[in-house]
Parts: sequence; C-alpha cells; structure tokens
Amino acid sequence: MAAAPSMAAAIAASMPAPQSAPTPAAPLYEAIPASMSKVVDIEADISIAAVQLDGLVVSKIIKHSRELQGTSAHGLLLGLDFDGTLEISNSFPLPHHFNEDDDKSAKGVAKYQASMLRSLKEVQADDSIVGFYQVTTLGSFFNQSLVETQAIHQDRLRHGGIVIVHDISQTARGNASFRAFRLTKAFLDAFKRNNFSTESLIDHRLTFSSIVEEIPLRVRTNALMSSFLETLSSGSAVAADGKPGSSSAALPPSYSVLNLGGAGVGRNLEQIVEALDAYKTEEGNLGYLQRQIAREKAKAEAYVSKRKEENASRVAQGLAPLPEEDVTRLFKIPPEPSRLESVLLLGRIDAYAKSLEETASAGLVKMYGVRAGGA
Amino acid sequence: MPLGPPSSAVFLQNSTAGFVSTPGRTPTSVTVHPVALFSILDHYLRRTDAQERVIGTLLGTRSDTGEIDVRSSFAVLHSETAEQVAVDMEYHHTMYELHHKVNPKEVIVGWYSTGSNLNTYSALIQNFYSQETAPHQAIHIAVDTGVVEGENAGVRAYVSSPVGVSPKPENAVFVPIPCELLFKETERSGLDLLASASSTLSVAHPSTDLDILERALRSVSDMLDRVLTYVRSVLAGEVKGDPAIGRYLMDTLGSSAEDLEKGGFNASLQDTLMVSYLANLVRSQAEVSARLALTSAPPS
Repeated sequence: MAAAPSMAAAIAASMPAPQSAPTPAAPLYEAIPASMSKVVDIEADISIAAVQLDGLVVSKIIKHSRELQGTSAHGLLLGLDFDGTLEISNSFPLPHHFNEDDDKSAKGVAKYQASMLRSLKEVQADDSIVGFYQVTTLGSFFNQSLVETQAIHQDRLRHGGIVIVHDISQTARGNASFRAFRLTKAFLDAFKRNNFSTESLIDHRLTFSSIVEEIPLRVRTNALMSSFLETLSSGSAVAADGKPGSSSAALPPSYSVLNLGGAGVGRNLEQIVEALDAYKTEEGNLGYLQRQIAREKAKAEAYVSKRKEENASRVAQGLAPLPEEDVTRLFKIPPEPSRLESVLLLGRIDAYAKSLEETASAGLVKMYGVRAGGA
Repeated sequence: MPLGPPSSAVFLQNSTAGFVSTPGRTPTSVTVHPVALFSILDHYLRRTDAQERVIGTLLGTRSDTGEIDVRSSFAVLHSETAEQVAVDMEYHHTMYELHHKVNPKEVIVGWYSTGSNLNTYSALIQNFYSQETAPHQAIHIAVDTGVVEGENAGVRAYVSSPVGVSPKPENAVFVPIPCELLFKETERSGLDLLASASSTLSVAHPSTDLDILERALRSVSDMLDRVLTYVRSVLAGEVKGDPAIGRYLMDTLGSSAEDLEKGGFNASLQDTLMVSYLANLVRSQAEVSARLALTSAPPS
C-alpha cells in the first residue's frame, strides 16, 4: 500500500507485490452539447421552480425524526440544481446541540459539517449544501431559529437554498409529509434591515402567510431503488421474510389511514392553547412597550412645547431666546419593539389550527363512510 | 474461493487464535432498517466504473438475545485488484466518529457489500471488521442489487467462522443467518410514499389526507373483490375451501360498527364538528389579527 498515504494498509492479500493504487482518471472536459447549453447555468440565473427529493433523503429524514423525539431534529440537504429543479440527493443529520455555551457547540457543528462534506465527497456523493431540513409536529414550523438559519442560507448559498419541513404527526397518521419552503423577498429585506417595527411590516406587507413561499416538491426514487421496492412489496421469497402466517411480502400493504385517528386531537388542541397563551403574553409585552414609547414621546413633546412657550414669552419681553436643546438626549425614547415573534406565533397558531381542521374533516369523511357502509 | 471441497482436514471452529473469541452471543438474526438498505443502493449507484462492488460499514444495535438491528450504513473507500485489497481505515474511523456524534447509540455491527460473491477478500474484510466489533462478532450483509442478469434482488446476512487446519484470516466460512426488513409503524407512510413515487413517475406531493384515504379504500375494495371471487368459486365447488382462510374471514368480517350505530355516531359527529368549527375560528382570528397589526400604525 505504498502508493496512497490515505489508503491505510488494512488488509493485504497473499501476493506481496505492491501495485500502485488505481489513480483516478483525469477528468475529460467535453464541449457542452447545444441541447444542454440552455440548462447549464453557471451564474445561477435560472431560479428554482421545483424541488425533487430523493427517496434516500426521505427515509433518512424519517429515521432521524423518529429517533430524536421532539422537534429538534434538523440536518443539511445536499444536491444540485439543474434547469430550475433542485435535486436533493443526500442529507445528513446535524448533532443535536444542547444548551451549552453556544460558541463552542457552533464551532463543533461547523467542524462536523466540514468533515462530513469532505468524507462524502470521497465516496462520490454530492457535497454541495442546498438547504436544510427541519422536523416539526402538527404542521407548525415557524420559529426564530429556523427563520434565522434560512436567512443566513439564503444569503450565502447558491440559489438561496431551501428548507424542507417534515411533519412527524402527519407521517404517523399515514400521510408522509414533506414540504419545501424558502423565505419571501419581502421578509428577507425586512430581516436584513433587522427591522420588524409596525411600519416596516406595513411597508413589506408582511403577515405570517407571506414569510415563506412554498415550492412544489416531488419525490423521486432512482431506478435501482424502485426495482428493489417493487421486489419488497411484491413478496417473492428473496425478500427473506420468514414470518409464518403473514403474507410473504416484506412490505405488506398497510391500512393505518383507515383509522379514525382521533387520538391526536387532544394534543393538537393543547398546542393551540399554548400557542395562544404565548401570543397573548407577547402581545402584552408589545402593548407595554408601545405605551412606554407613547409616554416618553408625550413627555418629550410637552418639554418642547413648554420651551417654545418660554421662548415666545422671552422674545415678547425682548430677551434672547433659550437655545433649542436636543430633546432626544434628554428623553430616551425606546426603539420600537420587533414584531417578528408575534408574527411567527400567529403563524404557528394558524398552522396548528389548519392541521386540526384537516384531521377533523378527514375524520368526518371516515365517519360518514363507515355509517354508509354499515347501513 | 479458498474454501476447498469438504475433506477430512477441514473442520469448523468457533474460537481460535486468529479470531476474537465472542463473549456475547453469536448473532442469530438480523433486521435491516430501510435507510441502511437505501444508502447501500445509493452508494452502489455512485460507484466508479472500475469498481466491481462497493463496501461499507453497518451501524446498529445489538440485543442480548443475539438479534442485530442494522439502523444505518455509510460507504467506505476500498480498492480491489487481482493482487490485493485495501480498505481506507482512516476514512472508516472518521465517518464512524461523525455518525457517533449524532447517534451515540449506534455502534459498528458489521459491513456490507454488493453482489453475491463471497471470496477471499470478503474473508479478509470480515476479519478486519471482526477486530472493529470485538468482542462481538461482525456480521456481513450481501445486497444483491439485481442488476446482473439472472439474479434476483435480495439481501442476505452472514456471520463468519474460521475454517481450516491452521486459522488464517483469509480462510473463513460464511454462515447465513435470517435477515428481515424492519421499520416502525410510524415510518410506514414514508415507505408508502416511496413506493407510490416509484410506480408513478410524477406523483403530486404533498397529497392530501383524502387522496390517501381514497387509495386505501380502493385497495380494500379490490381485496374484497378477490375474497368474493374466492368464496363464490368455493361455493360453486370449483375450488376446495381452505378452513384456515374461512376462519380468518370470519374473524375479519365478523366485527361490526355497532358502537357507531348506537348514538355514538352522533356524539362523535358533534365533537368532530365542534373541533372543526373551533379550528376555523382560530384560523380566521389569526388572519384578522395579522391584518390588524398591519393597520394599527400609531398616528405620529
């Protein structure tokens, strides 16, 4: 194993003659065919119109979210863009960082990420980050850290990157849910200025529904995986399922979607109430700050008008007017509070309610279905 | 294959100097999570032209009863020539550490390779992984990708035993053990999604709950038709009835929706409608609130 130093000599076969390790063939650069010249896009001019998610990524995300109960599971997506379609071909989970000192854990994550990318490149996997995924429950995914991460990504990544949101509770109900999002321009603009005052919100016409825009997502399995899945669900003997009594397929059909599924409703309602409470508190805080600003402003104005009156009387008496003092230095008017959190909370409430509504409507259909069948 | 024809000189041993003795139980069965399988397939797709097969490390958990649950896998660089085989150990260790950070519960349980031929190199690599998994025995999973003409796609699991008069790492017999695909019920829908994506090329996603419900109902209806055809043919005397099937049918179809009939339906209906109303109310309130926030600029 003399040739490549990274190729550690792990196992040597009987023949001692050391052959040089296979050198990678020099890459051949071919002229881009005319048919392809339109879709090759070096400057990232073609904007992303659709997202294509590989089956491998689907199963990786599902596994990661199941293992890490809770909504903290997140990871990075790797892939390439091609003619307006972002093809996500791989992903890896990021370590769950606890609330230690943030600087250290952030450094650790960066190191982990770089190391992982290098390693994946070595085995011919895609190694360009195109976004990240986030696991949520009950359809609500708005929170500050998600928005911040995505804002950073959209600044740095080619095409801005996307975020894939996976909903565990919906997956458990039998409908695996993956959705792709990116931040809207208006939100990004407001975010860059770090200004979420009321006026800024009005200028950008921001409500919770205009923070992100959804990109159509398609799930794709490569030919090899398709054929494998076919083998698994068609149930030949090769799939090595020896359970007696069960059908011979390793992937028997499932009917969990036929369950009425009322179990999650209580939890869903609780989530709504919690989010509403949080929103109420946030509104209270905002109101308090708003009143404080108004009070300080009133004080400042009173001071200014008093000074004006004084000056007027002094002028009338023929004295020199007192200098106009800088009011802002005398009165500290607090900056207008950021409304970002309250907007995000509203978005969460809306998402919870939407998921509840969907459960309820599907439940209604199932109930009537059963009655029609029973009658 | 160095495994010569069985002769009097060949015998099987369970623990010899060349192999690490196993205090834990020998693996009796292997379950594979779909993620591990899909990673292997993806790795196989991304191999270079020169590579006949790809290998990698399997991560998972062991139970006391000798069952091994393979949870994930990662690719490992290796090169095989006529004279030698090399595995990039450094790479393997780096990747393992990275995986360990995210998932501390998963440990190295063995290795995979694609293709179904087990040769001297397999034994050598197996020996290497046995050292990694010591004191437990390493397992080997051979994934047949089904691209070779005449071979079916499938997964086989093996453990190894040393063989031969004097133990040498390249002499080993691979003993097959049962292997199953295992996943949690909550992950089921993900597999369904993949299966539907593979059968229809452009599946609109996300599909609504009702679409999926419709699909399930159709499939149930198809099955009922099949059962009906079978029962009719039994009644007509064309096929001899199987009592076991009859009992299964009795159990399945005997259950009724009585509970729903007796007033339970109305109560449940009211609850559901209430919940639906509430959800809509909350949504419209949230929308109104968001709009109000846009208009309530303080007059300044």
